[in-house]
Amino acid sequence: MKQQMTLSASRRDLMKWGLWGFAGLAVATLPKAVQAQSIAQSGTAATLTFNADDIGILNFALLLEELEAAFYAAAAGSGNITDPQELNYVRVLGGQEAAHVTFLRSVLGDDVLFETADLSFNPDGLSAILSDRDTILNTAVTLEDVGVHAYNGAGPSLTNPTYILAAGSIVSVEARHAGGVRALLGKPTTEPDSDRLIADADLVASLNPLKGKAYDELYSPMQIVSIVGSLGILNNPINGALVA
Amino acid sequence: MKITINLMLQPFNRVLLRLPSYLISQCSHIVQTVGQAVGQKISQKISQKISQKTARVQRLASGTALVFSLSLLLLCLSPTSAAHAQDAVLTPRQVTEYALTLEKLEADFYRRAVVAAQSGGLSGVPQAAKDVIVSYGQDEAQHVADLSAVLPALGGDPNAITIPTNPNYSAILGRDPFANPTDFLLVGQYVEDLGVAAYKGQVQNLLAAGDAGKTVLAAALAIHSVEARHAAGVRYLRSTLLGADVNPWISANASSSEVIYNENRMGSPIPFSSDAFDGYATQSEVLALVGPVLTEAPMPTATPRPNPPMPETEDNSTAPAQNNSPRALW
Repeated sequence: MKQQMTLSASRRDLMKWGLWGFAGLAVATLPKAVQAQSIAQSGTAATLTFNADDIGILNFALLLEELEAAFYAAAAGSGNITDPQELNYVRVLGGQEAAHVTFLRSVLGDDVLFETADLSFNPDGLSAILSDRDTILNTAVTLEDVGVHAYNGAGPSLTNPTYILAAGSIVSVEARHAGGVRALLGKPTTEPDSDRLIADADLVASLNPLKGKAYDELYSPMQIVSIVGSLGILNNPINGALVA
Repeated sequence: MKITINLMLQPFNRVLLRLPSYLISQCSHIVQTVGQAVGQKISQKISQKISQKTARVQRLASGTALVFSLSLLLLCLSPTSAAHAQDAVLTPRQVTEYALTLEKLEADFYRRAVVAAQSGGLSGVPQAAKDVIVSYGQDEAQHVADLSAVLPALGGDPNAITIPTNPNYSAILGRDPFANPTDFLLVGQYVEDLGVAAYKGQVQNLLAAGDAGKTVLAAALAIHSVEARHAAGVRYLRSTLLGADVNPWISANASSSEVIYNENRMGSPIPFSSDAFDGYATQSEVLALVGPVLTEAPMPTATPRPNPPMPETEDNSTAPAQNNSPRALW
């Protein structure tokens, strides 16, 4: 995993809402299934290898969707979201991420790289992002924003026209999620520079002719892996040409 | 594509529709194939569907002649939406010109909203809504500036892409959308959702262009999801400020009162009728909807015109700086 990439600003932001500060707390709040899975697989997490082709990209998208779906399911069951509108958002968004998972698995068929049960979640990392309402909703914003940048970044590398249309039909829903949860938190629905996890200078120039508030920049899979790694919720090692 | 004035005089009316000439030629093509039973069947089915989708707009559009003209166009054009959804090939330049047309319209729409929020029908909206109007308007103006800057390298001229001095926004609901927050936010939802679908409708064309389309594809993707954030924001405002039964995402099997294009497209491997997947709109479909707005307003609306009005000939790369109006809201 390419963890050496510097994300100091983002880490500072993450720490602001306590992502790193709650390790070891509240494992009991985890859904039983996630907890059991994590314990069963701890130390033996399968390595996920993504090739630099359409199949690799769709599998990579599947991984992000699995993370989002697991997060929302855990958030809905955490008991920390009590406002009816917020709970509805968490449930609906989780359902839509699960629909993305189902769709991508059906498109990939035999080319699917991993089963849901192959993913190993870090209980401490998960409990940290489920610790309270603000943390949950801010994590949702981060995951959705990152998802948007990830789909945008992978789009130009796809070769199958149906796949890029499908990616487009998903990414705008992720952007709606990001906008909706941002609005719940009283934040702008677009992503201000201060929330961006990749600085302009680190963007892949060929993917980003346009930058700034009016654009959702295209992040490379390697950059996405680095951000996801910094969230500390997935134990599986990630490698392959796509993320190299 | 170049938006030029084409006089399309139907025997039933004298309404001038400002649409690209290729639309007219596509109409002719369809007329030639009318005898084919299968085509006819598909045509009827899709016409019905699109007519349903646009029924609200049609019902409410101002002036029966305009409405009739639009429905004629839809009847004429709808078969192409099925046949050409995947294969209406636009070059990267044509996609950029098309996108620039829509962005100029969106930017103009928000500029007028800013004026209405200062001293017109939107002056009573909460600050959160004013912030949204200003912020989204800045984004659209930025899109105009940057697409304008991209176009010359593709052989195009951004100044040749024009919209009317006073676009006929009243064609959308049949009344001035800047007169009150309810109408404005509904039209804003239609505009932003359609913008998302319009960009999505071009990603395959840009992909097919290979290396020549890479820059515009990257730009289109970076814009596409921001339009979706706008759509989500407008929908959220409608829900929280007005109590509208709407969410940031598009409902499953969305009705024609929620989205004005064919969101629930059937027969695709992508489950568009699901609320987890946003639909797309082809250029023909978008221009059929936007065409009535791309005419000069028949009479001045109640909304004061922004000053300066939408620049039509000057270099739009300086548009955000020229636009004094939004600053006043900060």
